[in-house]
Amino acid sequence: MARSLRRPALVFVCLLSAAVVAAGLLAGLEAQSPPAERDFLSRIRRLTVEGRRAGEGYWSKDGRQLVFQSEREPGNPFYQIYLMDMASGDVTRVSPGTGKTTCSFINPETGDVLFASTHHDPRSKQLQDDELAFRASGKERRYSWDYDPEMELYVRNAKTGTFRRLTNKRGYDAEASYSPDGQWIVFSSTRQAYERPLSAAEQKQLETDPSYFADIYIMRADADGSAPKRLTNVPGYDGGPFFSPDGKRIIWRRFDEAGLIADVRTMNLDGSDERQITDFGAMSWAPYIHPSGQYLLFASNKLGFENFEVFMVDIEGKKEPVRVTYSDGFDGLPVPSPDGTQLAWTSSRGGGREGQIYLAQWNHQKALEAIKNAPARKGPK
Amino acid sequence: MSARGCARRRARLFAAVLFLAAGVPAAAQTSATRAYVETLASEKFAGREAGSPGERLAADYIAAQLSRLGARPLPGRSDMFVPFTFTAGSRDGGSRAVVGSTTFNTSKDVIALSFSDDGEVSGPVVFAGYGIVVPETQNFGYDSYATLDVKDKIVVVLRYFPEDAEQQTRGVLARYSDLRYKAMAARQHGAKALVVITGPRSPNAGLTVPMSFDTALAGSGIPAASVSGAVAAALFAGAPKTLQAIQQELDSGNPHTAGFPLDKITLSLKTSLVRETQTGRNVVAYFPATSPTAGVAKPWIAIGAHYDHLGLGRNGNSLAGKDETGKPHLGADDNASGSAAVLAIAAALGKQPVRRRNLIVALWSAEEIGLVGSAAFVNAPPVPVNQLAAYLNFDMVGRMQDNKLAVQATGTSPIWASVLERANVAAGFDLTLQEDPYQPTDVATFNQASVPSLNFTTGAHVDYHKPSDTADKINYEDLDRIASLASTVVRRLMDMADAPQFAKVEQSSQTAGRTGVRVFTGTVPDYTSNAKGLLLGGVVGGGPAEKAGLQKGDVIVEIAGQTIANIYDYTYALELLKIDQPVKVVYMRGSEKRETTLTPGARR
Repeated sequence: MARSLRRPALVFVCLLSAAVVAAGLLAGLEAQSPPAERDFLSRIRRLTVEGRRAGEGYWSKDGRQLVFQSEREPGNPFYQIYLMDMASGDVTRVSPGTGKTTCSFINPETGDVLFASTHHDPRSKQLQDDELAFRASGKERRYSWDYDPEMELYVRNAKTGTFRRLTNKRGYDAEASYSPDGQWIVFSSTRQAYERPLSAAEQKQLETDPSYFADIYIMRADADGSAPKRLTNVPGYDGGPFFSPDGKRIIWRRFDEAGLIADVRTMNLDGSDERQITDFGAMSWAPYIHPSGQYLLFASNKLGFENFEVFMVDIEGKKEPVRVTYSDGFDGLPVPSPDGTQLAWTSSRGGGREGQIYLAQWNHQKALEAIKNAPARKGPK
Repeated sequence: MSARGCARRRARLFAAVLFLAAGVPAAAQTSATRAYVETLASEKFAGREAGSPGERLAADYIAAQLSRLGARPLPGRSDMFVPFTFTAGSRDGGSRAVVGSTTFNTSKDVIALSFSDDGEVSGPVVFAGYGIVVPETQNFGYDSYATLDVKDKIVVVLRYFPEDAEQQTRGVLARYSDLRYKAMAARQHGAKALVVITGPRSPNAGLTVPMSFDTALAGSGIPAASVSGAVAAALFAGAPKTLQAIQQELDSGNPHTAGFPLDKITLSLKTSLVRETQTGRNVVAYFPATSPTAGVAKPWIAIGAHYDHLGLGRNGNSLAGKDETGKPHLGADDNASGSAAVLAIAAALGKQPVRRRNLIVALWSAEEIGLVGSAAFVNAPPVPVNQLAAYLNFDMVGRMQDNKLAVQATGTSPIWASVLERANVAAGFDLTLQEDPYQPTDVATFNQASVPSLNFTTGAHVDYHKPSDTADKINYEDLDRIASLASTVVRRLMDMADAPQFAKVEQSSQTAGRTGVRVFTGTVPDYTSNAKGLLLGGVVGGGPAEKAGLQKGDVIVEIAGQTIANIYDYTYALELLKIDQPVKVVYMRGSEKRETTLTPGARR
């Protein structure tokens, strides 16, 4: 675990587009899940196998498909978006194949796939080759997500396979998801930093950590993307927004100005009634609400800077969060299946530095009991 | 790289943590594998040691099952048995020593060492202490021959290493006290024979060295025998001190305690060793493609598992505790489980209405003594190996815990990750992929033959290589699931238009790891060879050997000035190499003697 500390804000994107960097676990069969993990998770298994890394799996409304990002396209060292058929195992790339992509989501009504991509950038191929050459040189850099201002939202039509561009503003537009009725898109964007004159200090900030300027935006799914409504206006990285299962609230995470501490928050669709749900004083992020609406799952490094674990907490955040995973390295980006019986998440437990998507049966009843029995949360709300 | 068995055992034990017993789910009533495992791991087959009656019975049983499933003998063969011969052990063929006028000719007094050359020598005799030479590279300074001239003389040495030396010293000396190494040291100093005494202050005092199980093969290049205390007394008859006193001096580990000529006596030594050759049987059958294979790229697929095990555990690979020695090692997991998986896959795919490729089903023997059966198949393939689209191996797949399944050798083709991901979405295993094909199981044989390969395993456990590896401990439910996943994979491979591409995996210096050797040469010895010298079964991609131009089939006869008669010489010679320091390698390619320069790398 002697890897150097990285600026967390540079590492985690939507939820975490960045590489999962964990301790070099031994590959092999030695990692046994501890009993505590089995309280909530059973039949734990690695779902994605191909490619260097994969993460952020999100379900279709019927649970028959999972969309995710993975680095597995020959000649492209960046993520592309893939759709897995959970019955046949067939995996299809649904992004263009060139450039960088991240943060996909399936439209619950149409099956269209929403994602962020830079493939329109004429430099895309060159950037791919540069990255491959860099890797081939044997040098290693700490992974940094660059919040590429070329990142724009796209949607792939499920029937025709054609792409439609939803945003067209300089600035990083990504981390998007649909409302349960498929009518709305909520996303994160740094566009405000490119729309107005910046002070010298802000300019420097943009060069070192553009995520500082990221805020939450909402727009109609069928809109042209020209005028989304901005919902947050606070310094620090607001990102990773999702709708609640009833479509009435938005859940997301906000980093502090230094980009070190993050907490999960919820708000109404118009940005009102903002509430802070977590208060670990650590990096708590990647929240997702269980379809029952009774609790949410999130990831936090409360137990160690690079040891992310999945936690869960009641929807109001009144209780102490309950730990779900017990595994060295990274466990995060928890996403329950639409019927609430399975959990997909991203983990480095299989060994190495890179994450892959894992799948397990989720024990909803035990989760409810554990949350009920958790002590009340102390400290300021 | 000492005995193959040791290397294998070590690799396996390191490869996986020893699981403690855990709840085994009740097997489904209609298990596809249970009957196979229970039969193969029954007492009737007595641990299925290669060449034994139990192995023959097991082969008969497997062939009967394959016939029942509709498999056929390979084209041009009348049955499914493919015999091969291997060296199963050695016995003394009448060695004797004549000291002065006294003849010793019972095995109680004189017995050839298992690696001795046959011969008859007489001449001057020199006592060389413990006969230990620690390579200079160890910066240790211990050389029993430092002050002695043994050229064309018979060398007498003590067995083991100085008994009273401090622990650290013993640790170093012990590494060079193997009798093989002592014989090589004697030979390299010009001795014409080696005589070993078990000193009066050592364990087994005065006893000869029992004939050990040594499937090797080439001898040590000189006659070598151990003798009893009675013979020792005769040899030291005119010595200045008693053997007891002499040994006591040496036992301090003081490197300056020297040997001396035994010039008051004469010795004539005759060594004779009978190497026992046995016959093992691979069981190989196939299911023909259902349509003409003309135009199908590489129209053969093979699945396989070794069905042999350790018998009564007498050959040194056993890990049996004292209370279980001599009991049959039933090998339910190792590898009745893999054999059962292969039969279950055969049962499923034999019924497949459409097969674009021919499916070979192979059950190997003599895996436990060095992948001998599969190597025999590849060396004399009934179907050209380059017509094999893929090979899937199953070794120890019966002890699944926590849904974890390891698939090894995935680096042998770029296709494997996607094939496995797809098949596993429905199968639902927690997969661990290991690219490395240099595994201590038959998958290594096919990787060497450039066949895209996989090995499935659920890993080692506390009963590994013990009589307690029994059928009641097998997790049949998950064993069935593994067979089902593999059937899906094989089905896909049979129907693919293109054959998978083979990719050569560079052997990481770690997995090449042999205890005690710090340099990495990237050579893959052929353990089944009787050749004088070191026959290369392959070279590691990108390794120093490949860079030096060496290739599969070359026989190394000299490295860094050290002559190489066999794999043991080679291992010891590696001790002398220095990282990044080029050395001359002399090798035979066919009948042509060649030279090259090899620059060893570092093991991590």
